[in-house]
Amino acid sequence: MTTKLLNTTCLTLLAAGLLAGPAAAEPLRIAIIEPFSGSQASSGELYAIAGKYGIEEINEAGGFNGAPIEVLEYDNGGTTSGAADKFKQAVAEGAHVILQGSSSAIAGQLTEDVRKHNLRNPGNEILFVNVGGEALELTGDKCQFYHFRFTTTAPMRVGALVQAMKEAGDLGTRVYSINQNYSWGQDMEAAIRAAASQGGYAVVEATLHDVNKIQDFAPYVAKIKAAEPDTVLTGNWSNDLLLLMKATGDAGLDVRFGTAFLDQPGNIANAGETALGHYLASPYNIAAGEKAFPEAYKAKTGHYPMYMEPQAVNGVRTLGKALEKVDFGGGEIDVTEIALALEDATLETDLGPITIRKEDHQAVLPVVVSRVEKGAAYTVDGTDMGFVPIKVIPGPDALYPVQDSCSMKRPG
Amino acid sequence: MRRHHLLLLVLVALPLLVLPPFLSLGLQNTLVSMLVAALFAVSFNLLMGQGGMLSFGHAAFFGIGAFATLHLMLAVEDGLGVPTPLLPLAGGLAGLGLGLVAGYFATMRAGVYFSLVTLALAELLHTLAPQWDGMFGGEAGMSSMRMPWGGLVFGSVLEVYYLSLAWVALCLLLLWAYTRTPFGRLTLALRDNEQRVRFMGYDTHKARLVVFAVSAMFSGVAGGLLAFSNEVANYTTFGMPVSAQVVLHTFIGGSTVFLGPVVGAAVLTLFAFFVSDLTRSWLLYQGVLFVLVMLYAPLGIGGIVELHLRHMRELRWRALAGPYLGAAVAGLLIAAGFVFVIESLAVLFSSDYAVLRRDAGGLPPFPFLGTEWQPLSPLTWLAPLLAMAAGGWLASRAGRRIAPLWDEARRVHTQGGETA
Repeated sequence: MTTKLLNTTCLTLLAAGLLAGPAAAEPLRIAIIEPFSGSQASSGELYAIAGKYGIEEINEAGGFNGAPIEVLEYDNGGTTSGAADKFKQAVAEGAHVILQGSSSAIAGQLTEDVRKHNLRNPGNEILFVNVGGEALELTGDKCQFYHFRFTTTAPMRVGALVQAMKEAGDLGTRVYSINQNYSWGQDMEAAIRAAASQGGYAVVEATLHDVNKIQDFAPYVAKIKAAEPDTVLTGNWSNDLLLLMKATGDAGLDVRFGTAFLDQPGNIANAGETALGHYLASPYNIAAGEKAFPEAYKAKTGHYPMYMEPQAVNGVRTLGKALEKVDFGGGEIDVTEIALALEDATLETDLGPITIRKEDHQAVLPVVVSRVEKGAAYTVDGTDMGFVPIKVIPGPDALYPVQDSCSMKRPG
Repeated sequence: MRRHHLLLLVLVALPLLVLPPFLSLGLQNTLVSMLVAALFAVSFNLLMGQGGMLSFGHAAFFGIGAFATLHLMLAVEDGLGVPTPLLPLAGGLAGLGLGLVAGYFATMRAGVYFSLVTLALAELLHTLAPQWDGMFGGEAGMSSMRMPWGGLVFGSVLEVYYLSLAWVALCLLLLWAYTRTPFGRLTLALRDNEQRVRFMGYDTHKARLVVFAVSAMFSGVAGGLLAFSNEVANYTTFGMPVSAQVVLHTFIGGSTVFLGPVVGAAVLTLFAFFVSDLTRSWLLYQGVLFVLVMLYAPLGIGGIVELHLRHMRELRWRALAGPYLGAAVAGLLIAAGFVFVIESLAVLFSSDYAVLRRDAGGLPPFPFLGTEWQPLSPLTWLAPLLAMAAGGWLASRAGRRIAPLWDEARRVHTQGGETA
């Protein structure tokens, strides 16, 4: 009786093994680690929607390694320790790629987690695809082989803004720089100063202020008024941008804004007509490309791609290009090989190609400068206003030099 | 009584020692977070539950401990000869230092003013940290690596877990010993009647300062353990969520019992681990849980357990079993109905459903729990509401039967106490 049972068990196991043979292709697992709760939940949600859209595209084209790509979603709660916990959980659940976008602080945590994991687990590396963290140190001090950044940085946005606004005759010669007092705002201020000679302007004054704490920007507007600038350049986002623009409008100050995050959902609706004529530099603008992508996106997700959704999709698509070049024949996935292929990948977008700079893994991507106007092709926030593309600056022209602080250790 | 406690301790300690190697990596890491949260909550409760000082900014000491440990880790990386297992000590020292300075000012006042001073302190660090690159590493934070020591690599989560377990056990033991000292008794007196303590000749400001500093020190150790585990420290550690979390842990676990906060930390950390990836509404559930505990069991989970242990002999367990079972069923029914409504609403307001709605041009059935539900059908909403109503009815019935049994047990207990 026992032997019979044993035999059956053996046979079943054998059969299961045989059956599992062809189906045992290791699926690529992509972990999306974003805030799905707390104050940052809305942007985390957008990154997740865009990421999943891109992954679904790859899966519809046949997946990778003989299986559809698996998506794992984790809520980091908007804190770095939450992200560290979820990273470990993702590793435990077999993730190969981490996809993340909202918050440079969390990107900083994840890139370090990935670096240490890879040091300790040679042969089981993990790839970090950063689709939103813009802090310069991610490709500077913290740069590492397994981190790829698929978005712009402060110098890229400012350089593009200055060039396009100057050509449109809207820049003037006196520029006021106002930014949030932390790494991003400081990066922006440095970039605005650095672009002065290229743009032929003088920085009449530069202000750094508290991050998302100021309720009344009137004193700052008074300072701006006193400096008599033609243009205000700012990297402010969320309330800091909104309240600043509103206070400027209330004070009757006629000054042009050049911004980095004016397309954040809700901004235009909140600012109203005050926003008209202001500029935005961003990694993509659907109005500058073909109709196919926004329509396909809307059919799947219910809305046109907005804010940083297109750049996240492009990041995943570039990863898809790299995946096309590697073949593990259904066997074990070697992340290092994928990373090497990603270095050489090129994605043709409607606005121009996206490639990777090998020295620091910063994506070389076109930057679009747009102006808020009525009757745009894609109106936003339920208003009659939208972002009209003014100029597309090709990737290589928008790029900034590799930072000296980056010393990347390559595999092998 | 003592034997009970010992048995309980073994029952808790044994699985903590033996089980982890067999658990998944994610769960091992959650246990580390749980240990850190437990130590943090107990040290917070020394100030809150025993000292009667409600701090809304305990993240300050937790965070400073994390950064101090990380600075020491960086120094060790550069060749400083500090044994790796002793790293969290730096967190304790930094917590103590900051606790002495901040506590000197905070403990001058009591009540709401005390809470506000602590809140301001944490906010100050939270604002300062992202701008002070050298000290706090800017927005992206600081990062280091655990160095091997004494034949241990400290690379795996399991090694971190056992080290954390040792630290937390040691700290809890010290904190428990503290409550047994005469000064520990004085701490309780400070909470109950500060004026009387002053009339007895004690300098209450100094005494409160000591309590504050000790609490800050152990919070610093907890922060140090977090930095040790994550190998990164970042300004978000000073944030309000961290300060609020420890308050939640303590109140849900029960501030009147020494190990209450441990229970709260364990329950909520595990809750977050299992539920946060299942549903986006998990913070809502956590909040509802907090409100329910505050309304119906202000002693917290730990307090309830302790109450049962204390009345172990006097309670008529056989008579209680029925109503308790009824109450459990009632709780399940209410929870099921509530979760169903919330999750259905989450599906109905999701972007996926918006696409379905647009394609169907109306209100199509929504998928949930493997079947389709009609959003406008009364059945969809009546079923959970009925479940909740039935649960409420059952709960009130069970409550009416439980109350007299408890009254009786309490009466017997006090009488027994008088005769003994």
